[in-house]
Amino acid sequence: MIKVKGMTRVFGVGDAAVEALRGVTINIPEGDFVAIMGPSGSGKSTFLSILGCLERPSSGEYYLDGRDVNSLEDDELADLRNQRLGFVFQSFNLLPRHDILRNVEMPLVYAGVPRGERRERAEKMLTQVGLGQRLKHKPAELSGGEQQRVAIARALANNPLVVFADEPTGNLDTKSSNEIMEIFQKLHQDDRTIVLVTHEPEVAHYAKRILYFRDGEIVREEVNDELR
Amino acid sequence: MNFADLIQIVWDNLKAHRMRAVLTTLGIAIGIAGVIAVVAIGQGGEAVIMSELESMGSSRYFEVGPNYMKGETADSKTFSLQDHVLIKELSPAVEKLAPVTMGPMVDVRLPNSKKKPLMSSLYGTTPDLIAGLNLSMESGRFLTDADVTAHARVAVIDAGLAEEYFPNEDPLGKKLFVQDNPVTVVGVLQKAPSSIMSAFQVRSVYAPITFAQEMLNTRVINSLCGVAVSEDALPQATSDCIKILEKRHPGGSYMGTTMDEQLDMVGNVTSVLTLIIGAVAGIALLVGGVGVMNIMLVAVSERTREIGLLKALGARRRDILLQFLGEAVALCLLGGMVGMLLGIGGAFAVALAAHWPPLISFWTVLLALGFSVVVGVFFGLYPASRAASLSPADALRHL
Repeated sequence: MIKVKGMTRVFGVGDAAVEALRGVTINIPEGDFVAIMGPSGSGKSTFLSILGCLERPSSGEYYLDGRDVNSLEDDELADLRNQRLGFVFQSFNLLPRHDILRNVEMPLVYAGVPRGERRERAEKMLTQVGLGQRLKHKPAELSGGEQQRVAIARALANNPLVVFADEPTGNLDTKSSNEIMEIFQKLHQDDRTIVLVTHEPEVAHYAKRILYFRDGEIVREEVNDELR
Repeated sequence: MNFADLIQIVWDNLKAHRMRAVLTTLGIAIGIAGVIAVVAIGQGGEAVIMSELESMGSSRYFEVGPNYMKGETADSKTFSLQDHVLIKELSPAVEKLAPVTMGPMVDVRLPNSKKKPLMSSLYGTTPDLIAGLNLSMESGRFLTDADVTAHARVAVIDAGLAEEYFPNEDPLGKKLFVQDNPVTVVGVLQKAPSSIMSAFQVRSVYAPITFAQEMLNTRVINSLCGVAVSEDALPQATSDCIKILEKRHPGGSYMGTTMDEQLDMVGNVTSVLTLIIGAVAGIALLVGGVGVMNIMLVAVSERTREIGLLKALGARRRDILLQFLGEAVALCLLGGMVGMLLGIGGAFAVALAAHWPPLISFWTVLLALGFSVVVGVFFGLYPASRAASLSPADALRHL
């Protein structure tokens, strides 16, 4: 599913250059559930952002679903994000002006899905995360945990191959965190590939594999045998 | 993303900042209103002046006078009382021709009346002038050749004077004093079609040129006024007049003016005025456009994160570009529509107050609306392309 070889990412040039990634190599097979941990500045978020095709690596190879990502044009990357990838962010990143139904519809709008079908699919996704009764609510009318559930529904709307989550529980209390992680666990049981960045060990323990980042490199890998 | 989705996104975004949208729109509205109103008022005014000029004389009307462009003025040797007779005989292009002696303003009063005399223009002329005036007689007759030969103490007055002095009686045969000379009214001219210029119209008295020259104590003829056989013959008529005059009065220099030239002149003046005021309104529109650009740049930087998110969700460069361009165009188009209503209203108000027809052409409105869209695209393109070319990761990191 995901094949990365010798990936580097350098910010800035000359003396001011900072190496965020210094040669990362990893394979993530389909259906894997990977958590990435590490101190801030270790490059874990940059890595996730490159995996999610939101930015390009400075060097190295990246194959996603058999395609050479580095060779794709910006618009092809946009289509790839739209059709194959889903994102969940720490700060939810919902559009405050629109109701949550419209928020979940957004990826489908860019995919060109017709209005009726779009609505139907968005409703279904929101019902699955338990918000079927609140379609017309604005994000601000929802709690943090509920907003993150909307974000997950949005990430899943296009039935993506991989879901990327950057500190999905970073802004949530323990109870909401557990609810969100249970949703991720269920996605994993449905064989969805998940890559998640976190600095909370309890969150990471939901994953099948944990990668430890330090100074732009993977320093340790742990396989979580006892799947909760 | 299809068009309906684009419209909805644009609309939702504008609705989120109502006050801002309204204020930005205002700049464009004022510009568009200015352009429409100025053009409409200009066109209305021009039409009025044109019809005014046309009603003042036949389209075949022409005048020959001393060449004032060369500093010539009329004196007693410029024209003679025989010139017009000779020219009519010699030039087939000239149908009617009358010499005109025009003095300073004269007093006109009723005999035995304490009323303040009215200031009027006195024209000394011959029968042919009526052809050039484009007015017919209300009652009585115009001057005759016999009047001219006899130095007859008669006068034709305009409808304004007749109303003033003889409101309830027939003026024909009544006496008036012109510069203290008793004259008999033999004819009343028809009232000129009412228009904005009526207010400025000077009252006029027409007398046989021989008698008028006695009253004014002058031998000067100011110009020859005539009518050509056809509009096409106008240049021929004026040049014939000038040739003959130059032969008869060596050393004199003459020039002809036709109605066409006067219409052209008015047209030029009004279109220059329209252009100038239109340019000022255009500058207002430009300033409005800069306002739109400014607000769009603010929107782009405010929504940087949102742009990053939309890109993460799969928005292409073009989707973002169209969204922001759409907002700029929508602002300008809304402003354009409000401005159109204001402009049309303004033009109607001016037309109503000035008693002239409101001339708002469909094309002016279409042009103004089209122009507002162009302004939107022009000033929206830079902010929109800035938004579209943001890197999704950088945009998402933006706080």
